[in-house]
Amino acid sequence: MRPFAYRRPADARAAVEAALDAPRAMYLGGGTNLVDLMRLGVAEPDLLVDVAGLPYDTIRETGDGGLEIGGAVRNSDLAAHPAVRRDRPMLAQALLSAASGQIRNAATVAGNLLQRTRCAYFQDVSKPCNKRIPGSGCPAIEGDHYNLAILGHSAHCVATHPSDMAVALTAFGAAVHVEGPGGRREIGMPGLHRLPGDRPEVDTVLDPGDLITGLTVRPLPFAARSRYRKVRERASFAFALVSVAAALDVEDGTVRDCRVALGGVAHAPWRAERLEEALRGRPATEGSYAEAADAELDLAEPLRDNAYKIPLARKVIVRTLAELGG
Amino acid sequence: MTMTPAKVPRELDSPLDGGVGESRRRPDGTLKVTGEFAYSSDLWLEGMLWGVTLRSPHPRARIRSIDVSEALAHPGVEAVLTHEDVPGFKFYGLEHKDQPVLAIDQVRYQGEPVALVAADHPEVARRAAAKIKVDYEVLTPITDARRAAFDPDCEKVHEDGNVVRHQPVIFGGDVAEARAGADVIVSETFEVGIQDQAFLGPESGLAVPGEDGGVDLYVATQWMHSDLWQIAPCLGLPEEKVRMTMAGVGGAFGGREDLSMQIHAAMLAMRTGKPVKIVYNREESFFGHVHRHPARMRYEYGATRDGKLVFAEAEIILDGGAYASSTPNVVGNAASLGVGPYKIPSIRVDAYGVYTNNPPCGAMRGFGAVQACFAYESMMDRMAAALGLDPVTFRQINAAHPGDALATGQVLEHMAPLAEMLGRLKAMPMPPERDAAGHDLRELPGGVSNTTHGEGVRRGVGYGVGIKNICFSEGFDDYSTARVRLSIIGGEPTVLVHTSAAEVGQGLVTLKAQIARSELGVRRVTIAPADNQVGSAGSSSASRQSYMTGGAVKVACEAVRERMFKLFEERLGRPPASLAEAVEHLPEVLGDEVIDETREFHHHRTERMDPVTGQANSHTQLAICVHRAVVDVDVELGLVKVVELAAVQDVGKIMNPLSLEGQIHGGTAQGLGLALMEEIVVADGKVRNPSFTDYLIPTILDMPPMRLDILEYADPRAPYGLRGAGEPPTLSSTPAIVAAIRDASGLALTRVPVRPEHIAGSS
Repeated sequence: MRPFAYRRPADARAAVEAALDAPRAMYLGGGTNLVDLMRLGVAEPDLLVDVAGLPYDTIRETGDGGLEIGGAVRNSDLAAHPAVRRDRPMLAQALLSAASGQIRNAATVAGNLLQRTRCAYFQDVSKPCNKRIPGSGCPAIEGDHYNLAILGHSAHCVATHPSDMAVALTAFGAAVHVEGPGGRREIGMPGLHRLPGDRPEVDTVLDPGDLITGLTVRPLPFAARSRYRKVRERASFAFALVSVAAALDVEDGTVRDCRVALGGVAHAPWRAERLEEALRGRPATEGSYAEAADAELDLAEPLRDNAYKIPLARKVIVRTLAELGG
Repeated sequence: MTMTPAKVPRELDSPLDGGVGESRRRPDGTLKVTGEFAYSSDLWLEGMLWGVTLRSPHPRARIRSIDVSEALAHPGVEAVLTHEDVPGFKFYGLEHKDQPVLAIDQVRYQGEPVALVAADHPEVARRAAAKIKVDYEVLTPITDARRAAFDPDCEKVHEDGNVVRHQPVIFGGDVAEARAGADVIVSETFEVGIQDQAFLGPESGLAVPGEDGGVDLYVATQWMHSDLWQIAPCLGLPEEKVRMTMAGVGGAFGGREDLSMQIHAAMLAMRTGKPVKIVYNREESFFGHVHRHPARMRYEYGATRDGKLVFAEAEIILDGGAYASSTPNVVGNAASLGVGPYKIPSIRVDAYGVYTNNPPCGAMRGFGAVQACFAYESMMDRMAAALGLDPVTFRQINAAHPGDALATGQVLEHMAPLAEMLGRLKAMPMPPERDAAGHDLRELPGGVSNTTHGEGVRRGVGYGVGIKNICFSEGFDDYSTARVRLSIIGGEPTVLVHTSAAEVGQGLVTLKAQIARSELGVRRVTIAPADNQVGSAGSSSASRQSYMTGGAVKVACEAVRERMFKLFEERLGRPPASLAEAVEHLPEVLGDEVIDETREFHHHRTERMDPVTGQANSHTQLAICVHRAVVDVDVELGLVKVVELAAVQDVGKIMNPLSLEGQIHGGTAQGLGLALMEEIVVADGKVRNPSFTDYLIPTILDMPPMRLDILEYADPRAPYGLRGAGEPPTLSSTPAIVAAIRDASGLALTRVPVRPEHIAGSS
């Protein structure tokens, strides 16, 4: 591990200023991802700005049925919140399907959004990786990629985003609050995470110094019927091969509205906009769900060894929607 | 649990609690689950240094130069060592001394140790190690084991060729002739991925320099004396100056048979004159021990229409990686047990162990018998299907019975008949059908990931049979040593049992005390810490410690008992009427005297395999376990829920029911891991998943309840008639689970582990 400085600022402004002091400053939340990466030599910050103690650790229900979630809220606390369990089951399910109880107790909401890919080449400092060392190459494209991206990847990177929570938040269209050098702003999801393009080293649209202080999940009454389903290689403690977060609004056998996002398939949590468009106004039948899934998955460009993810994603989407559509 | 009568008479009349045959709790059990057990990584001495190993990032490279000057100059660093600093012989190894203590001019696998650093803090040592400049000329690694073995143009990993051992087995009539007479022939190629022992306690230990120029080593290992015999020559020390003490072992499963940090820590301690501790982290641990050999196996079987096998032919290629480790003996097992416990008139097996630049492979629970078991059991299912026979019936038709010969000509003796074991297995009640509504998600494929509520789920049932050799084979004169001391402490008879046997979690400590209680009728038994101040106990491997060290403790106790009876007669003028009476009078009979006996226990001799035909009585004891797996497979998503595993195993004698069931559960779970998820992924000689986040082992949610039927067909040559029990369940659970997935999915599935990608979308 490289030597680094450590600071614990008193508020968000001070944190942003501190982070701008060092060229490789990073914010520290629960440390469940960053500290591992530091041990592996994948992350080499020269300054850690500890923001876990800032007063962004509360969940507030807005009068209109929305939620304000602090960036330092622990994953466990968010999953257990009554308004999440009652009104947004897919978010609670996504959180609880991730990691272990111990990690969820430590990991923060902002840190969860910003966790780095589990691509084996990114984690292995003896290998080239465009995300770790820009321009060094992507050995995953020809190498071991059975669990990597089928959507939105580029010739420079085929990594996937590992978060479950972010998939549900993307389906909700959550708004991320950012405190940055230029003041405060909001970034909608999808929109926080980038596709790799020719700059895979940049995971998000955040600028240096930007601090996620929280997020808003606006009311979505029909999300009381929502689900998160996750396909993984063992019953617990494993990342998604494919996951889906879906909420469905059906009236008189017709889909009025829906929200669907996919995990484990792309560099960013993948909002299935084509699917949603194809499904609105259609009868709530398995046939419609399958057609809508295909509308989205037609975009897929599988690699040599991960084409299995396309039928896998289709099946999970159809099953989840069928369950919600009754 | 079913008990068939043990055939060894119990001549003693000990009425004592806590003897042989009872469930006794392990003294280390509570400490381990509450986090209080002291593992080797917890060792600590004031003023000690921390050792760190610099490893090769390349699977194959020449070393042009190593420059340690910057590392040495790093503040806090007390020593930086390379191969030039090895005080004695520069190579070690279990069977071939082919592995350099530190790389000399070249590296042969990713993670090979190149240099050592000792510093006052582990982070300081790591930073200094990063400053060592190794100039590598990177070479293309040799990674295809088949090519390494058979292509004369393939480069050599070691000068003397890439084949570590080729062992043929030729049994019965000519295979070509038998092939002509077969009605049905099936053939297939199978693969087994690299499984890791995945023990929880990473390699660690402490070396303390002695005033006599020697060294005291506190290490977690499976066989202290084997360590010692390799360590002492490399340190240039006589064996008596290397004092070994067992530190708390966090699991082994074969992964601690080879040396890891032992010589390194001792070298640093001797150089600096200070205690040196080395602890691998999880990632380093994946490079710090050998794994289970990956295998590529080509099989062909022929049978008559009425279901009798007429020939079996197999080519088994085991990739041993960069160094020999125990590859020669792994090959011996794969060859001799390569077609399982079946009666086949013509057999030809060729097993090869091969050097490559892949991770070194060696001992792991099941030791060479696991890979072939997946292949031969898959073949049995395939042939049964080709003949239109029930898989159990087909196995029963061809089962070798006591009195029948295996492929090596060795005759099965003193064990449960396989056909009967299969009959009992099949007769066990089946788990209930899946409840269609309102079920617990945990009972479904995907579990709480909420991937199905029954859609796409099909049930399958599969069977597996495995045969494993118990104790060391092929002519090795194996033994264990026990010292038993009887004295009166505080007015109460007390027995001290001292061996060097490694308690690696298998429960030997408990068993030694049970044996001493039964043999001596004394309630209070103390187990001395394992060290090399008593003779070798051999390895805690090959399911051998109950047999070997159990045997040694038993014979030492018998010697003590004899003296105890003699003393009784001398002092009281008559022989004791019973053991209980002798013990009752011990305080007055023994007084301040001490009875102290040390005994070695040897098993009966075995033979080397004939190098051309493989024929020999090469195994000490054989053990069979059979499994039935019931699985629910989500054939659309490729997810498997193992609903139930049932097993029938013959253990000769149940020494401790609780421990035994734990062994069968654990071995079965390890076989489930190989069937469904455990694999070290290697590409171009480099490991892709050296972490427990990416190398998946089963959790409690993946492991189903088990139904056990344990048989006791005593082996009269073994102490108490017992049969080693730790490994057999590891063999047969894997093919049973895969057979059940095939039954549910209709897929061929010729490779383990079977992952979702191999099943998904196949419906």
